[in-house]
Amino acid sequence: MAQRAVWLISREPGTPFCGTVRFSRRYPTVEKRAKVFNGASYVPIPEDGPFLKALLFELRLLDDDEDFIESRDSCSHINKTSVYGLLIGGGELWPVVAFLKNNMIYACVPLVEQTLSPHPPLISISGISQGFELLFGVQDFLSLSQKNDTELNTKLNQLPDLLLQACPFGTLLDANLQNSLDSINFASVTHSQKQPAWKVGTYKGKPQVSISITEKVKSMQYDKQDIADTWQVVGTVTCKCDLEGIMPNVTISLSLPTNGSPLQDILVHPCVTSLDSAILTSSSIDAMDDSAFSGPYKFPLTPPLESFNLCYYTSQVPVPPILGFYQMKEEEIQVKITVNLKLHESVKNNFEFCEAHIPFYNRGPITHVEYKVSFGQLEVFREKSSLVWIIGQKFPKSMEINLSGTVTFGAKSHEKQSFDEICIGGTAYLKLHFRILDYTLTGCYADQHSVQVFASGKPKISTHRKLISSDYYIWNSKAPAPVTYGSLLLSESLCLLSERGKVRNKIT
Amino acid sequence: MGPLSRETWAQRLGAFRASPSAFMAGPEGEDLGRDLLSELRSEKLSEQTKISLLALSLEYPAQLWPDATAAEAAATSLLDTLVLLPPRPSALRRPLLLAATTALVAGDALGPASEASRRLLPLLLGLASGRDLGRGFGPASEQRPLQATACECLRELESCKPGLLGGCLGLLRGLLGQEGPVQPLSLLLALALRNTLVIQARARARAGLQGLLMAGDTPSGGEPWNWALAEEGDARLQPQAPSWPAAEEECGLAVLEPTPEEARELRAAVAQLLDASYLLTPVAQAQLLWLLGWALRGLRGQTPVLFKPQLVRLLGTAQLTLLHAVLALKAAFGEALFTAQDEALLLRRLTVAAQHPALPLPAHLFHLHCLLSFPENWPLGPTGEEAAPLLLGPRLCRGLLPSLLHDPMALLARLHLLCLLCVEDEEKEEKGQDGSPRHYLEELLAGLRQRAALDGGPRASATLCFQASYLVVQCLATQPTVLTPLTHGLARLYRARPVLAPHFVDLLDRVGPELGEPLRVALRQEVVSRPGRDEALRWHLQILAEVADGKAQSATLGFLGAAAAHCTDWGLQQALLRVCRALLRAGVGGGLADLLQALARQWEDPDGRDHARLYYILLAHLAGPKLGVALGPSPAAPALASSLVAENQGFAAVLMVQEAPAPIRLSVGPHRAAGPGPVLQLHVEVLEPAYSLELRFRVEGQVYAPLGAVHVPCLCPGRPCRPLLLPLQPRRPAPTRLDVRALYTTPTGLTCHAHLPPLPVNFADLFLPFPQAPEGDKLGFFEELWDSCLPKGAESRLWCPLGPQGLEALVSRHLEPFVVVAQPPTSYHVAIRLPPDSRLLLRLEAAQEDGVPVALRTDDWAVLPLAGDYLRGLSAAV
Repeated sequence: MAQRAVWLISREPGTPFCGTVRFSRRYPTVEKRAKVFNGASYVPIPEDGPFLKALLFELRLLDDDEDFIESRDSCSHINKTSVYGLLIGGGELWPVVAFLKNNMIYACVPLVEQTLSPHPPLISISGISQGFELLFGVQDFLSLSQKNDTELNTKLNQLPDLLLQACPFGTLLDANLQNSLDSINFASVTHSQKQPAWKVGTYKGKPQVSISITEKVKSMQYDKQDIADTWQVVGTVTCKCDLEGIMPNVTISLSLPTNGSPLQDILVHPCVTSLDSAILTSSSIDAMDDSAFSGPYKFPLTPPLESFNLCYYTSQVPVPPILGFYQMKEEEIQVKITVNLKLHESVKNNFEFCEAHIPFYNRGPITHVEYKVSFGQLEVFREKSSLVWIIGQKFPKSMEINLSGTVTFGAKSHEKQSFDEICIGGTAYLKLHFRILDYTLTGCYADQHSVQVFASGKPKISTHRKLISSDYYIWNSKAPAPVTYGSLLLSESLCLLSERGKVRNKIT
Repeated sequence: MGPLSRETWAQRLGAFRASPSAFMAGPEGEDLGRDLLSELRSEKLSEQTKISLLALSLEYPAQLWPDATAAEAAATSLLDTLVLLPPRPSALRRPLLLAATTALVAGDALGPASEASRRLLPLLLGLASGRDLGRGFGPASEQRPLQATACECLRELESCKPGLLGGCLGLLRGLLGQEGPVQPLSLLLALALRNTLVIQARARARAGLQGLLMAGDTPSGGEPWNWALAEEGDARLQPQAPSWPAAEEECGLAVLEPTPEEARELRAAVAQLLDASYLLTPVAQAQLLWLLGWALRGLRGQTPVLFKPQLVRLLGTAQLTLLHAVLALKAAFGEALFTAQDEALLLRRLTVAAQHPALPLPAHLFHLHCLLSFPENWPLGPTGEEAAPLLLGPRLCRGLLPSLLHDPMALLARLHLLCLLCVEDEEKEEKGQDGSPRHYLEELLAGLRQRAALDGGPRASATLCFQASYLVVQCLATQPTVLTPLTHGLARLYRARPVLAPHFVDLLDRVGPELGEPLRVALRQEVVSRPGRDEALRWHLQILAEVADGKAQSATLGFLGAAAAHCTDWGLQQALLRVCRALLRAGVGGGLADLLQALARQWEDPDGRDHARLYYILLAHLAGPKLGVALGPSPAAPALASSLVAENQGFAAVLMVQEAPAPIRLSVGPHRAAGPGPVLQLHVEVLEPAYSLELRFRVEGQVYAPLGAVHVPCLCPGRPCRPLLLPLQPRRPAPTRLDVRALYTTPTGLTCHAHLPPLPVNFADLFLPFPQAPEGDKLGFFEELWDSCLPKGAESRLWCPLGPQGLEALVSRHLEPFVVVAQPPTSYHVAIRLPPDSRLLLRLEAAQEDGVPVALRTDDWAVLPLAGDYLRGLSAAV
């Protein structure tokens, strides 16, 4: 379960080493055990320099991607998880858990309590998931309210002390590093026996509970006969409970209106003490029917001090909030585009913002645009070869808007225009960006009366909701587009297609 | 060295961290460990600097204090520093405890004989029990964190010396029930409990589990720690979470059969730990579950239902570690804890977690791995191989299938699942209609190829395409319906982007014949049907060198002939020659000879020309198998990276003669006195097959004319060979020795040279009879010869000893062919011709009991001593 070493490496393309080790920590007592357990297959933890080089090579982050290198590019060198083997000093250092996030590489080497050859399956190594949690924890800590390099450096400088607290001997005690930071500061608080390890102190002050529901809606729309459109809502419920007492009990319920879409794939925070089996089993894998559990979704819990994600869910709403099509035809150096967007009548027509981004990949800069919009304005980003259609706060009464135009491109220069592997030829998309406050697509809400708090004092309860677009794509219907299996015309998806017909009919 | 300032230390630590090995090899390396310990007591340094020094000692104790003595001294010094701290709050106490523990463990100093260990253990146990240890241990506010730290230190000691805390189980339980910090005590108790169970099971001796668990907080018998148990555990470190399924026999827990009282007490302890587990952080909960799961596994009379109340709560969370821990319980207990419905639910949760948009990609991938390695209650397939669990039908998988929009790793992982579904699909004999997994797979592969075909696209997308193709071939090698479109698609990809040639070569090297054979054909057609120039030509030649074989010779040769004109630089010429080489190995003959000759004439670069000529000579002079060996990988240097060097090595080995210890034994057979000249009869035996054996002889002292070589086409061990006849042409009638060398080819095609032991040619080997004397006057013939020897020659008389067999036997054995007149048993006249033109005449008469007087004459006086020796040696020679 222990880790032998941890690294943080910032990725710096263009520099001689393409990266710098920003933090590393080794655990010699764990290393001692590794030597015994691994026996002849033991490979010691290398110094930072060689590790950096080997890891960047394996992750393809060195600048030498030009040539075919067998040890990296061979077809049999297949990695299906974020766990790697690094060739170092004639041996293979394995398993190295590593991933890249925001130009920072997070890496650690879990202890494997047996011989390494042949590699045991990852599922049997307890240190793998512990390693992931450690790295996720460090990542959360670094990304929390971090805005610039100075803040990053401050946080990196705090890491040695934090890990001394959260992972003194390589066995992780708490993946929430912010907790460890607090516990350094909270040291004088008197503890009682029932104090949970994930709650370092107690709250003193006015009781209040804040619940916010954020739904993100994703969509892939093709406007094609043989490919079904897909859309999905992903919800996150974030809570902050400022309540006195060591273990205040709270029950938070999420409700749906009568025509709301059931919540599925619910994942809860570990502080939730029990879970209804209907919540546990409601899943997007099953075919939907009217008997699906539609709440209320009750979550009894003992809240931690900090703000936490009470639960995540997905939902399959009957229609996408905005249905559209995008047609693009290439004609020598110019393309003709037609866009049509319709807001569904059930959706709250009050946006914080709504924009359609229309990028043109693998082409030169835009030299000329002729267009006509029925609503909103069009902005042209010539060098970036993209158009942004600013729709604004409201769709017009007809709920339907159009854009048509002709875009002319200059010669392609390789440095400036971004390369895209998917948008080749006529394959192109437009992406919608919008946000609607005080609204959820599923209808999910947490009302103030549904929150039960078993603690002294009546807390002030505030709730928030918003809907955000995320990966909302409308593909050019005049060219091939990447599809997911779910989009292929399966017998099940026929109903989705007919759904689109229904939506169309309703809108027109 | 005097006290160092904060800056100096920061610099020094920076230099050390940059490269510990380089720093320790430098001038400052030796003192670092000592300086660090003394500086910890310096009053000039700030606490923060001291913590950074301690942090270094936590990471690099083996470098600072490399042996047990130094580690022991360091731990002692750290403990002294701890005791001497003033009683006000200090951030140094925690790291000092950690450092002392680390130093002892990492330096192998932990043990009953170590003074520092004997100080540290009571100190840690005292702190962990929350006892008041006096003013040295800071204000009350620090007690709680120190108590937790002491527990962590003890846990680490127990991890490295399993069984050490076997005597403290009762004490720890007591503390957990009272006011102690829940998480550190729970984890420590769980670990100690598990280690005790495992060691007792292995030692097959129980020191009263109940007693251990009940002992309360005053352990009986002095020290609570158990060095004896730790020694037993020390024989083999205990995996805290052994891998399944091999762990079954490893743990051997099944032999431990606790009494009902013990079982009850054990259950109570486990229940106590599990009930409080909610108070632990998620990662610590997971550790607890792994430990307890593996502690109770196989323990008779212990049902795992204790875990049941926790499961629903755990299954609902998004935590990777918790789900992983549940899987560990699943692997440990199987059906005893998870009914078929539970198993199905777990699978569904895992499927959800493997694609839930709220979770990060690494978590998705790990969950997907867990799905394919899922510990099923009733697994069907072989263990250790990734497979889709039985309950995971196509419906459940639908959201887990790959699309081109996925990240490469996710795509490969999901592609694997898709392939597994296609295998099942095939078994159900569904044909590849639209919408079937196989149809989707084809579309996906086509998309990947399209992406890889993009001019100027990144190497990674090409790599991904080939990895996906490889994965598909691995899983679906038996399905022609998948392989045929794949082959065609790959050939089209090559046409679009020949620069991917190295990927094709790599793929061909790694896939089996199911894809390899048709792909070779397709690529060869692709190449020979569209001649290219420059860059494309280079790739074409690389592909051809891989795929060229005996088939489609004329097209291939035609392509090469046309390409030769464009091969103006050395690299291209070498590439073309590599193809020729491949053809040579494949046994292509006629047309290739013409091509090579043309190259040797046409090219200007001398290296290319020479190589072409060399290949031509090889082709013209070596038979097929030998050629194959000559061009094959070198036996002398099998692992050389450069093909050019390897090639040269191969030639050197094959075309040069290897010196070898002789596998051949040569001996002289019985003398044959016939024919015009003396002939040696040789017998050859071999220890291993030898081909084209040539034996070369050299006569010592040049007493004979030079001897011709003897050739044998083939010799095999155990198969008798006709005697070899070696005619001798003496210049003088004298015995000599023949120096023998053998030249032969081994079954591996190497030509070897061996020096054999010299062969003796005896005086008697030269004896020849005179041509037949005229019938009736043999005596006269003899007398005539006898007389003719003098006066030029010499005469002698000597005594020839006779063995027990008598004169008659002696004559018949040695002199029979040369007897001219015989009056057995008393008198024999012997005439011997000695080439080139000498004679030796013997009269053996009046034999007596133990010998016979011999009168001898020869026309060559030099023969006389030889004859004397010969005759005297006869009786001994038998």
